[in-house]
Amino acid sequence: MGRTADANRRRPAVAVVALIALLTAATGPALAQTAPIRDYAEPALIDSRLAVWVAAQLHLDFAAFVLAVPMFALAIEIFGWRMARRDPAAAARYDWMAHEMARLLPAAYSLTAISGAFLGMLLFSAYPRLMAYMTETFGPTFAIYPLFFVAETLCLYFWYYSWSRLQGDRKWAHIALGLLLNVFGTIVMFIANAWATFMMTPGGVDEAGALVSLYDAVWNPGWMPLNVHRLIANITFGALLCAAYAAYRFLSARTAAERALYDWMGYTGNLIALFTMLFLPFAGYYFGFELFAYSATYGVTLMGGVLSWLFIIQAIVIAILFIGAAYYAWLGLLRIPGSEPQRRLVPVFNVALIAGFMIWATPHSMAASIEESTGQFHPLLGALGLMAPKMIAVTLILVVLYVSYLLYRRAGKVPVVPWAKTGTQIEWGLIALMALTIFGLGIYGYFAPADVRIQTSIWQILVLIGGIVVTFVIDLYLLKGAETRAAVRWGTMPRRGQYILILLAFVIVWLMGLMGYARSGARLNWHVFGLVQDTSASAGLPTLGEAAIVVTTITLIFFALLGIAFAISSLAGRDNLPEFGDAAREAVT
Amino acid sequence: MKSTPKRSWLPLPVGAALIVILAFVALKAIRPVIPHSVILLYMGFIVLGVVIHITLEDTRINRFWDFFLSRPGEGPGLKAQRLAMLALLPLAAGWWAYDSVRPRYAPPVEIFQRHPTVGEATLSRIVVPDWAAVPAAWRAEDVAAGKAIYQANCAVCHGEKLDGNGPAAAGFRYPIRPANFQDVGTISQLTLPYVYWRLTTGGIQNQFNSAMPRWVAAHGDAQASSQLSNDLTPDEAWQVILYLYRETGYTPRQEALTDHTGH
Repeated sequence: MGRTADANRRRPAVAVVALIALLTAATGPALAQTAPIRDYAEPALIDSRLAVWVAAQLHLDFAAFVLAVPMFALAIEIFGWRMARRDPAAAARYDWMAHEMARLLPAAYSLTAISGAFLGMLLFSAYPRLMAYMTETFGPTFAIYPLFFVAETLCLYFWYYSWSRLQGDRKWAHIALGLLLNVFGTIVMFIANAWATFMMTPGGVDEAGALVSLYDAVWNPGWMPLNVHRLIANITFGALLCAAYAAYRFLSARTAAERALYDWMGYTGNLIALFTMLFLPFAGYYFGFELFAYSATYGVTLMGGVLSWLFIIQAIVIAILFIGAAYYAWLGLLRIPGSEPQRRLVPVFNVALIAGFMIWATPHSMAASIEESTGQFHPLLGALGLMAPKMIAVTLILVVLYVSYLLYRRAGKVPVVPWAKTGTQIEWGLIALMALTIFGLGIYGYFAPADVRIQTSIWQILVLIGGIVVTFVIDLYLLKGAETRAAVRWGTMPRRGQYILILLAFVIVWLMGLMGYARSGARLNWHVFGLVQDTSASAGLPTLGEAAIVVTTITLIFFALLGIAFAISSLAGRDNLPEFGDAAREAVT
Repeated sequence: MKSTPKRSWLPLPVGAALIVILAFVALKAIRPVIPHSVILLYMGFIVLGVVIHITLEDTRINRFWDFFLSRPGEGPGLKAQRLAMLALLPLAAGWWAYDSVRPRYAPPVEIFQRHPTVGEATLSRIVVPDWAAVPAAWRAEDVAAGKAIYQANCAVCHGEKLDGNGPAAAGFRYPIRPANFQDVGTISQLTLPYVYWRLTTGGIQNQFNSAMPRWVAAHGDAQASSQLSNDLTPDEAWQVILYLYRETGYTPRQEALTDHTGH
């Protein structure tokens, strides 16, 4: 009995020891090795790819905006600062415009951070295996990225909120803050681009995917082309959004002065967008060229295969962007009394632009019914649908746009330099020579093998850029001290021009979404091309129709959120409007 | 801006309508026919150009709308043109509606991919033999062997001149006729492994919409020979490819870089 009681007393202790032993036995092997990583999860309760797609695109849209606006806003601010002594009124106007362009930044920056955090959480929870691999490869960059992000945040908020405080003698400090903001912002983008491009064109790893060189993983073949492409595209994107904001303000303006200022701001936004758009096709070709060089699969997928029809849509959307921007610029001639000689040429430009874009958008392979099918390349359309004629078309379109701009500069002005007539003849002669050379190179490239064809397209671009630089320098000297017959009447732009600016903003956001789909979709069934396969249930490429619906939804969400940012920024009240006197009317820069 | 009473012999809306109609008729008249999808694309641009032209000047906009208002003392010609224009729009809309719902017997339009997408994994498994990898080093006897195989097996569809016009070509029409290798848009755009994949996989990878057979021998079939069937040995397939390039004068695109370790 005593033994029994003793045993009973000891029973709980035995039970505890046994339980611990049991638990140790059960969990020991599991604890001894790394916890298994799941391949996929659905934390958002919807298809993870769709959730990541929406979050990533929204993040990119906001990031593009907050990265780009400080670039040209700072440039405008510096421009105003430099003329502060010469023309304080004009300087105040430039300063006002730079600040007005930056108005949406603080709220937009918060939305960038929120969408970025949301994207990060989704990625790590929905794609644990992929993100484990990315963390293993890019660990150090994951650590420094937030540091630059914080630095960018500090610079942005200080830059924006110290605007009125750091004026006058302290303006240099404000400019320095803006410069730092741009430097940090660019670094942040470049780091994120390294991850994105590594997934497309991995470098710095061995055949099994193990890291060999972090430097090569960052500077992978697609990195610099995407950096260049995004840098330029972001500026176009931000400038068009600022132009749309100005258009909205123009349409809701109550006074003529307000209308004049926002007309000027919309014009500037469109001009910046148009200027950067000139370089975008070539930045795109550069990126595509590197992708093709990395793997022919990309070339076939993007240009001849499953994504080839996306590029027809892209061509149409780009055409709308260019035509819309040109239309706005042509309408702008109405602001300048005495611009009739220039306006007479616009119908010719219109025909050239439309014809050029018809070639640019011609599909190489047709969507034909059985009655229409010839079964072969169409003798006419098949020839137009190739790269060489498209390069001729797009490069000559850019020549037309550039000439439109030269005419805009010339409108209402009479050159006073003694060599004005000869100078004008040389200028136009050079432009004609440039166009002919571009055409000739394109014809030569059409019959040449693929590698030579790519070379000729590079030469076409160089001829275009060289021609623009030379003729623009001539034009600068030609119009030096030119007599102004009639000043620009800001605020008299037709309302339809403002609606065009709003349309262009919608189009650029949509286009950015479409190209995001193309860039990610081109990897097909790979998370990291050739290294980490996508084995999830949604590994298949979404159809173009599905992509169009998602991209449109993202665009609408983006504008809804931007509207909220706009409402928040409006709570702060409006700045005092600067005077828009005669001196500002020269602003055809 | 007040409209200027400019009266040209052709009212602006009539001129605009004529440009659109003439462009449409011209596009429809081109032979071989241009597919409806492309005409729609082109017409979209042309209409856009016309709208831009009209809306570039306030005076033009006013002239456009003024045309639709009758004025006392106007001639019968102008009135007839106005009525014709007013009738044109509902008629065009009606035709469009009818055309889009009328019964058709053709299969739905298919977006055809000229160069079907193939996975990197598949392409990277295709090894180009040394003797076929460098165009400058191609041997004449391999090209000649390729020519013999081509003429015995391929020319019936793809043509003696490699122009896609062989005797049997007319039998294939939709969605695609045999490829025309002389066209700059075919083999000159592609790498050697891709062309090999296309030849040895045939048309069946693309939803059975091409009649191109699989020109490939069963694995380990030592007796495979192009002279007996459509079983090409790998070497024979490469010889045919060499012949295609040599005969057309094109060179293959650069091959893929598969080295992940650097650039």
